[in-house]
Amino acid sequence: MSGIVCPIRGGAASRSTIDKAIAIAQETGLPVYFLYVLDLGFLMHTMHVQTGTISRELRELGEFILLTAQDRAAREGVQAETVLREGEIVREAIAALCREIDADYVIMGRPVEARDRNVFTPEMLERLTRDLEAEMNATVVFAGEA
Amino acid sequence: MRVSARWRPRLLLGLVALATLLLVRSGAGWAQGEEQGGAGNRHLLIGHVYDGKGQPVAGVDVTARTAGESELLAEAETQDDGRFALSFGPDVASLAALQIQLQRPHFQDTSVRLPSETLAALQSGDATVMADVELVPRITPAFWLAAAIFVLMLILIAVGSIHNTLAALVGAALIFAVSYLGPLVTEDLFIFDFARALRYVDWNVIFLIMGMMIVIAVVERTGIFQWAAFMAYKLSRGKGWLLMIILMIIAGVASAFLDNVTTMLLMTPITIQIALSLNLNPLALLMPEVMASNVVGISTLIGTPTNILIGSFAGISFSDFVVNLTPGVVIAMVGLVLYNQVVYGEELQSSAAKGALSPMLLERLEKRGEIKQPGHLRKAGVVGAAMLVLFVLGENFHLVPAVTALMGATALLMWIRPDIEEMIEAVDWTTLVFFIALFIAVGAVREVGLISLLATGIGRLVGENLLLATMVVAWLSAILSTIVANIPFTAAMLPVIASLTATIPGAESKVLFYALSVGAAMGGNGSLIGASANMVTAGIAERAGSPITYGYFLKRGFPALIVTVALASIWLYIRFL
Repeated sequence: MSGIVCPIRGGAASRSTIDKAIAIAQETGLPVYFLYVLDLGFLMHTMHVQTGTISRELRELGEFILLTAQDRAAREGVQAETVLREGEIVREAIAALCREIDADYVIMGRPVEARDRNVFTPEMLERLTRDLEAEMNATVVFAGEA
Repeated sequence: MRVSARWRPRLLLGLVALATLLLVRSGAGWAQGEEQGGAGNRHLLIGHVYDGKGQPVAGVDVTARTAGESELLAEAETQDDGRFALSFGPDVASLAALQIQLQRPHFQDTSVRLPSETLAALQSGDATVMADVELVPRITPAFWLAAAIFVLMLILIAVGSIHNTLAALVGAALIFAVSYLGPLVTEDLFIFDFARALRYVDWNVIFLIMGMMIVIAVVERTGIFQWAAFMAYKLSRGKGWLLMIILMIIAGVASAFLDNVTTMLLMTPITIQIALSLNLNPLALLMPEVMASNVVGISTLIGTPTNILIGSFAGISFSDFVVNLTPGVVIAMVGLVLYNQVVYGEELQSSAAKGALSPMLLERLEKRGEIKQPGHLRKAGVVGAAMLVLFVLGENFHLVPAVTALMGATALLMWIRPDIEEMIEAVDWTTLVFFIALFIAVGAVREVGLISLLATGIGRLVGENLLLATMVVAWLSAILSTIVANIPFTAAMLPVIASLTATIPGAESKVLFYALSVGAAMGGNGSLIGASANMVTAGIAERAGSPITYGYFLKRGFPALIVTVALASIWLYIRFL
């Protein structure tokens, strides 16, 4: 098994990442695996602990975000699968999926805007890229790059 | 001891029923106690103790001794209304003089010699009322420590580095540590003991919130929020501006009857999905929604935790809130809709031109918009309607809202027999613990006189001008609520407002409490940390790739605060001043 792993969060920032994954899939004929990582850590800042209901709702949201990406890929004639994982460590979720499908490519978005609004700092992203390329022989591509 | 699954539902129902019974009994007990007060054949000396602000002082040890001697003749403790009653035996008739001593931590010890005519009246066997006694506050090291701990707790809550409940528990624990360990060093470090601390816990608030949590847990599982949002999507027919208005109304109405956080927890994911489907910026729908939730929540007693606190403290009923605040909320809401049209109008231009929704996404949205438990929804509707009737009419027969909420929750549990494990999870125990710890922390700063000092300061600022006082309370609460969590802020302000209400002519209409309600709730729109609903909305939006930064919220939320508080202030002026 092989393919392209494309972690997304939804929103405007993910559009270029999805487009890049679709473009590479069209070039290589590989399937795309859109990945969404569900993280409930922010709830510690509120008083509410109805994690059952909230995680159900956020899971629905994550699935919908993945579906919009899959829909876009389908319109471009690209085969795409969706994967939703739970956990706070996005890096580990990406690495695990790469291992599972023996990924050839990982398409990532570049950190933009304020550092604390990104999943990865530039340093973390660099480390992840090194690990993925070294351990899994996967090529990491950043959206927006030629 | 393990309870079998078969018996767990009955155990929970039993506990809820017992709590209901206890609340009803405690209400009856109060009434009975009132009737019995002052009865008996002994010689009774009745008095009132006030502080410098004219507020009753509870928990004062009052002792009667023979003048110049240490023989204790009678002792009593003042009640919440500052009253005490000393009961003497027949030997009081032989006394030549009587000395009344009053002692309470954080006040100077006071001794009063009973005037001869009052002593004569007491000796004649009548129940005698002595002159009011004023206690002079005393600032001790405990004052500064309690104030420092309270501020620390507010900072911990505002910073969000630890859970709110943990922050409140840290505050309460530190207060007890000072109270119990401090006196080993000096008596002046004593704040209050555990029994006294528990008297500051408002159990009406705790049980009302608990009862409503159970009802909300049933309602939220039915899919009503998702259905309503999907209906908004269908009704708007791709018109972004119309969709925004309908979603604001849904979020607002839901927030008037359920808590804002639950409303936004359930509305935010489906709203983002609708926005993504229509190629709209999700924030153009989410921001107006959360603002509407913060504004409209104050229409009813049960709409916000701050209203529950205010209603319980000031004796403001469900219908009082509806009559006195709902028109103002409607006016503020109209202003908020217009404001959001100006801010987001461009982003909400008709999305029809942005491309048709794919059948796959539409199917998914339709599935999300289905009512999942129609039977439960119907039953919850019936029970909810009955609860509304009791909330409105209950005041006529002394039915407190907490009992109505508990009875409604019990009826609903009996009727639908839900999975009891899920119901136990649905009762947000951390929130209840948060309120208990918060009441203790606020009680500590009341006990040491900080709140009284604050009331004196504000009293000097506004004098006897009710209009000025109303505007100061509304705007100060609104501005402070943008930086301080509004629940602890409201809890701390309540005794201050009570003090101002007692001293400013015309304030007996409770207008200052309504101003506090307006400021504390609408102030939540001023910043991202101003309300829990904002934080939840931002947290979910960020996980969907649409972050709401502090700056973004401030830029759009603060003008909304000004618009809505100004409009609500105009309403308060028309209604009360």
